[in-house]
Amino acid sequence: MTASQLTAQPVAKAPATSRRHARLLLRSLKPSGWLPYAIVMLGALIMLAPFYFMFVFATHTNSDILSMPPPLWFGSALVDNIHQLVALRPHFWHSLGLSLWVAVAATGLNLFLCSLGGYAFAMYEFPGRDTLFAGLMATMLLPAFVGMIPFVLLMNEIGWLNSTRALIVPGACSAFGVFMMRQYIGSAVPRELVEAARMDGCGEFGIYWRIVVPLIGPAMGTLGLVTFIGSYNNFVGALLVMSQQEMFTAPLVLRSLQGTGQTPWGAISAGSAITVLPLLILFAVSSRRLIEGLSAGAVKG
Amino acid sequence: MKLATTLGLAMLLASATGHASAQTVLTVASFKDLDRSVQAAIPLYRKIHPEVEIKLVALGYGDHHNAMTTALATGANLPDVMGIEIGFVAKFAEGGGVEDLSKPPYNALQYKDKFFRFAVAQATSRGGIFAAMPADIGPGALFYRKDLMDKAGVTEAQLTRSWASFIDAGKALKAKTGAYLIPHAAAIKDIIIRSGLKDGEGIYFDAKGKVLVESPRFVEAFETAKLARAAGIDAKVGAWSNEWSEGFKRGTIASEMMGSWLAGHLKNWIAPDTKGHWRSAGIPGGVSASYGGSFYAIPKGAKNKELAWDFVKFMTTSKEVQIAAFRELDAFPALVEATTDPFVDQPMDFLGGQKARQDWKAIAAKIPATEVDKLDPVAAEVVSAEFDKVLEQDKDVKTALADAKKAIERRVRR
Amino acid sequence: MSAAPAPIGTPAKQTKRRRLKPWRFMPYVFVAPFFILFLGFGLFPLLFSAYASFFRWELTAGLAGMKWEGLGNYAFVLQLDDLPWSHFFSGEFWSQLYARDFWRALYNTFWLGIVSGLPQHLIAVPLAFFIHTKFRRARNPVIAMYFLPYITNTVAITLVFSSLFSRDFGVINQVLTGLGRLETFGVHPLAWLFPVQNVDWGRPEYTRPIVSFIVWWRFVGWNTVLYLSALQTIPKDLYEAATIDGAGLWQQFRYITVPLLRPMMLLAVTLTIIGNLQLFEEPFILTGGSGGVGQVAETVAMQMYKVGLNDGDFGTASAVAWLMFMVIAALTWLNNRTLGRKD
Repeated sequence: MTASQLTAQPVAKAPATSRRHARLLLRSLKPSGWLPYAIVMLGALIMLAPFYFMFVFATHTNSDILSMPPPLWFGSALVDNIHQLVALRPHFWHSLGLSLWVAVAATGLNLFLCSLGGYAFAMYEFPGRDTLFAGLMATMLLPAFVGMIPFVLLMNEIGWLNSTRALIVPGACSAFGVFMMRQYIGSAVPRELVEAARMDGCGEFGIYWRIVVPLIGPAMGTLGLVTFIGSYNNFVGALLVMSQQEMFTAPLVLRSLQGTGQTPWGAISAGSAITVLPLLILFAVSSRRLIEGLSAGAVKG
Repeated sequence: MKLATTLGLAMLLASATGHASAQTVLTVASFKDLDRSVQAAIPLYRKIHPEVEIKLVALGYGDHHNAMTTALATGANLPDVMGIEIGFVAKFAEGGGVEDLSKPPYNALQYKDKFFRFAVAQATSRGGIFAAMPADIGPGALFYRKDLMDKAGVTEAQLTRSWASFIDAGKALKAKTGAYLIPHAAAIKDIIIRSGLKDGEGIYFDAKGKVLVESPRFVEAFETAKLARAAGIDAKVGAWSNEWSEGFKRGTIASEMMGSWLAGHLKNWIAPDTKGHWRSAGIPGGVSASYGGSFYAIPKGAKNKELAWDFVKFMTTSKEVQIAAFRELDAFPALVEATTDPFVDQPMDFLGGQKARQDWKAIAAKIPATEVDKLDPVAAEVVSAEFDKVLEQDKDVKTALADAKKAIERRVRR
Repeated sequence: MSAAPAPIGTPAKQTKRRRLKPWRFMPYVFVAPFFILFLGFGLFPLLFSAYASFFRWELTAGLAGMKWEGLGNYAFVLQLDDLPWSHFFSGEFWSQLYARDFWRALYNTFWLGIVSGLPQHLIAVPLAFFIHTKFRRARNPVIAMYFLPYITNTVAITLVFSSLFSRDFGVINQVLTGLGRLETFGVHPLAWLFPVQNVDWGRPEYTRPIVSFIVWWRFVGWNTVLYLSALQTIPKDLYEAATIDGAGLWQQFRYITVPLLRPMMLLAVTLTIIGNLQLFEEPFILTGGSGGVGQVAETVAMQMYKVGLNDGDFGTASAVAWLMFMVIAALTWLNNRTLGRKD
């Protein structure tokens, strides 16, 4: 593929389209043309396969799933599986709602606080900046597991056990988020813009809100997505903090159905499929914004 | 039960005195599948105590015990009643975070003789703390496919007489039907390790904490299992894996040695179509062992200890409840009295009409009251790891056991 | 990042001289939330675990069960006694070291980390570039497919993977042996590449590669998305200028894209290092907690878990955690020196 493909892109569609298509078609017949595509698509299939099977399993009965070879196409037991899931865990929907609420709150807080922090580290010079940043990085290094027990002790002291606060507030500003925002803001927001705004009398927070935030769409999208996923899928936190079944989050509920022997895999797969749907929707939506941010970047040049 | 009735009456009176008495809430934390036993017990309990609301929290086996460990460590989120499985009961007992039921106001030792001997021993720590009431047990049995054995000309006596004849039977089976006798040679190892034990002896550790893995029964266990592998009679599949359950379903694995509850699993989901072809027998070499076992304990930090004790007693000493659990999930009762119920004498269709529950009852009575050590799971893991090397990498048995001893001592050295 | 000089002259609208200039203290206000939260919720667990690492603590005994041990836990973990130090460079030394739990776990962790981590990035960068430039319309679905593994949770996926990798009945073996047994004109052309017998994925020599594969599977899409979002910040005219100068696609990739992706690479690689060194879920669930035969896939995090919760020795587990902290810190610093740049 020659570089002329690249130059053809940013220029908008109409006149060269048909010629481009013709060229594409011709080029598509050469192995060097389609081989990379084929490899990428094969990779995508590998990515997709286990996921696909999860959905397939969600529509089959237990005995079908456990049979060998396992089913390759969808079955008809989805509704039954969902019935069984709800029968086993009547508060499943409530748990799902809890998971969503915790994830939304955690994401919102993180987007705001991390971009604020990242902006400060990226755009300001202040004494102790590098030390503080190093400290921030250092907090990421300790394996979370050991903090488990003291964390529960702490939550117990302040009375936050069995409440969603314990899942939202402690992680409301992640070091990773600040790190990522600092990197992105540092390279995507021109200093001159910030300076100019300051000269125009814009307050510091105003600069952040009106200049920086609109420019970091893709990073917000990515961070938002990642934070949401992390919070939503996290079960260790919920396991430690929640002792009442009604306060379990969705992943915990699904795990609670596992045991040796007669595990209701159909119900678990159905539950997993339902649980993952909000993530899929969120991804579909946020990746569109990512694209929007990208087109803006392309025009900006 | 008198205590329960008195309590119940008292509570009824209390609630009848006019003020809006809130429902007392009892929290029970359990793991899958024990939670089904609890669920079977709840309606029965509520008939006697309608003013008590029982909240059951169930998690997966690993998650549950982790949550309980965390709760005990932090003193937070403790349930009133804690379901514990055999692997953890020694640890929780020795940790001292649960009530010693032998002391007042529980005085549970009065019930000691109502249970199978070994079950109580399992729940008692080295220091004599009786930490939990036994709920169910798993008397070990050999389940085998009679039809396949018949085809190969193997009799039950041949299977159970000795390990040597067991292995020979396996060879014959393989030759005549192509089926494997057992899923994995490790099962043989696990059983022989437990053979010849007397009351008060530990499997891996003795009373002083010395590591016992170089003793003759371990050597015999490793050697015999190695012979079995060499004879080609094991299918090399791990328990509960896909190949394992498929093996039973398709008849490529002809027997398994596990707790009596395996019959329930086979019937319900593993191989329901093989109904009528299975039989239950004693474990070869005349070994009496127990697989699994569940208990209920009361944490020291629980809020409703009195009520918790009432419920625990109800679940473990009431014949009705134990039989309900037995029917519901094939959980063999720890309560001896429960095994006098006519249910035990019923023929079991899945086992071709065999009255296997009577056999299991006999086996349960013979299981020795071995000492449990909280580090048993650690030792078991190390021994398994070395055993794998013996099987897979042809490691010498004596060396493996010596390494195991060193490794256990290292990990446990304290 | 170059210093931002404070504006010299203050516009007439500005505040009186005596008030603290906002840009001097606002940064502190902005970064405060993180540190407040950290001080409130992160510091105590950190300090406590450091404190606990000097004690022996059986968890089920409650807080009262802590007993002072001093550096004993660290010594226990490192187990540097009884080693043939005089034969430091011989295989004997290293194999004995490998027999010690912590060092074996460390080796495993690094093995898994590198084997799964390197391909994550080596593939993610060109992949992101490729998708960015070639897949204008189909970009969304393609990226979505690559990102999916990151979204899934381990509960359902374990079942699926164990089913797929089943020796006798798994789809993977069916595909592989199908290809290996593929016959044309009586010959098996692909037999040199693909197996003809079912592969026993349960064997210990496969355990690590499988875990690595699953970790790679999970994160390659994630890294691709990171790089893709960073690619947006590279101005198009750079590429255009390069094209005009006659640079080919590969050259543009090498001389424009890669250097400008460095900041994102720093972030992504740092995350991979931290994440892989703390790897727990995938090997734990795949091996059912055992780490596989010979504990070939037992990572340091798994060992921590085992020692803390199963062996009932939380103090030692904390010591392991802090040892790992030092390792991770060292590597991150190294990474920073290599990829990071003060520009």
